[in-house]
Amino acid sequence: MTVTPHLASDSAACCWIPLFALRSELARRPEIASLPVALVAPDTARPPRVWQVAPLARRAGVKPGMTVSQAIGLCPALKLCEPDPVHYDEQFARLVAALVTVSPVVEPVELGRVFVGTDGLEGLYGSPEGIIEAVQMRSAECGMRKLPNAECGMRNAECKDKRREANDPSLKFRNPHSAFRIGWGRGKFVSWVAATRARPGSAVIVQPGEEAKFLASQRLAVLPLDPDTHRRLLQLGVKTLGALVALPEEAVVSQFGRAGRRLWRLAAGLVSEPVVGRVVPEPIVAALTFFTPVGERDLLAHALDKLVDRALGDPRRSGWRVQVVRVHAELEHGASWLVEATLKDPSATREHIAAPLKTQLERSPPAGAVERLVVEFTAFAPGTAELQLFARDAGAAARAGRRRALQSAAREIALRIRRPMLYHVIEVQPWSRLPERRYALIDFEP
Amino acid sequence: MRNGPDRLRALNTQKRVEVELDEHGVPVIVTRETGNGKPIESVGETWRIDDEWWRMPIVRRYVEVILEGGGRLVLFEDLMTGEWFAQMPT
Repeated sequence: MTVTPHLASDSAACCWIPLFALRSELARRPEIASLPVALVAPDTARPPRVWQVAPLARRAGVKPGMTVSQAIGLCPALKLCEPDPVHYDEQFARLVAALVTVSPVVEPVELGRVFVGTDGLEGLYGSPEGIIEAVQMRSAECGMRKLPNAECGMRNAECKDKRREANDPSLKFRNPHSAFRIGWGRGKFVSWVAATRARPGSAVIVQPGEEAKFLASQRLAVLPLDPDTHRRLLQLGVKTLGALVALPEEAVVSQFGRAGRRLWRLAAGLVSEPVVGRVVPEPIVAALTFFTPVGERDLLAHALDKLVDRALGDPRRSGWRVQVVRVHAELEHGASWLVEATLKDPSATREHIAAPLKTQLERSPPAGAVERLVVEFTAFAPGTAELQLFARDAGAAARAGRRRALQSAAREIALRIRRPMLYHVIEVQPWSRLPERRYALIDFEP
Repeated sequence: MRNGPDRLRALNTQKRVEVELDEHGVPVIVTRETGNGKPIESVGETWRIDDEWWRMPIVRRYVEVILEGGGRLVLFEDLMTGEWFAQMPT
């Protein structure tokens, strides 16, 4: 029987980048960073709604959840962007992968928010401050946090330019690292609340034993409340966690039931939910023994495809993308052949994984006929294109896959005709009596 | 007409046309900006839209027509300016 190691940690560092998707979009397209920008929600709901809103658009009154037509009504200059969940997920996966090098216990919660278990790291990094510094350094390495001048090796003039950039609010907003906040404490809730209190680029540490004092002054909104409970508590004059804890626990339970007990205990700092990490899968192997030794490259390439498919179908691979793949072949007369490929962009699609292997097969084929061919996935990265961290359900993942295929086709078309020719039809005021107000086109920008 | 690189581009915007009317005010010939006049074979539904009376009133008289040769077109007269426009049927 296999025993699954349980990766859990009571002490937690919560890493949080608010509006992660929008920031990733603006980091990729700096030319729109100075415009009032909003992302359209990635689901297929009708009418389409606004998802994440940049400060300039927010100042004009645009809010998440508004319909696109409402948002345009408030801000005619609004730049609407089609969301690219796969790109955001990839960016987030890079951050998660970087954090895994600090601690094996990493729990992604949503785009831009991830918990790092820090139990036992004192031996490596010392105090919580040291652990946080390690987290910040790793996140900086994957571009999520800006290095200080001395660390990044930038010359003074360059750094001055960067500082000027940093003072420009629009430029500042587009850098995910400018918003990287960390909270450290016992349990996920305390660390999350600490992260929400941290200034962009900095950290808040809640020392053990100080949870109740820290939480007492926090606003009620930090609790996982439904709108009705929130409203009722406010009507009772409860505005902070301290005010909630001042009420007898049983009184809160009698008003709000089991959920009330949980809220009271969270507010009192009595609940410490551990960070639970995922176990990185063992290497996945798929092998094929030929009836007669095979020397034709086409046949070997076909066999490679089949083996990669088979390995991808292994249930242990679910939730992981392949980073390193290795192929070895047993040749006639006892010789062997081995190639290994490290994918720059971890992937879970056969074409991406098999492509470098086939290139190697062409460049340096086996020296003899192959009797047995083995494909082995030896390293993995969190998240997959099919089952993303961001889009956990199969429907959303399928939509993301279709969008990616469409984007790839659009890029090719743009390369060939060199001008934007693809648009996305969007409902603006479908109820309008004026036909020209009902629908509009926005550029489809892959 | 595109308003700019970062703006929405409205679909089914109206195109200016010249319309000749008979003595009852019914369109008989429609001329697009590029092209010769096309006789109208039959007139279908007509309707009127009054909108946005609270700011810049929009008052239109719509006429659905079949052109000679079978093309279907929706024309409207802007009753504020007297100009005629064509739009695609929706």
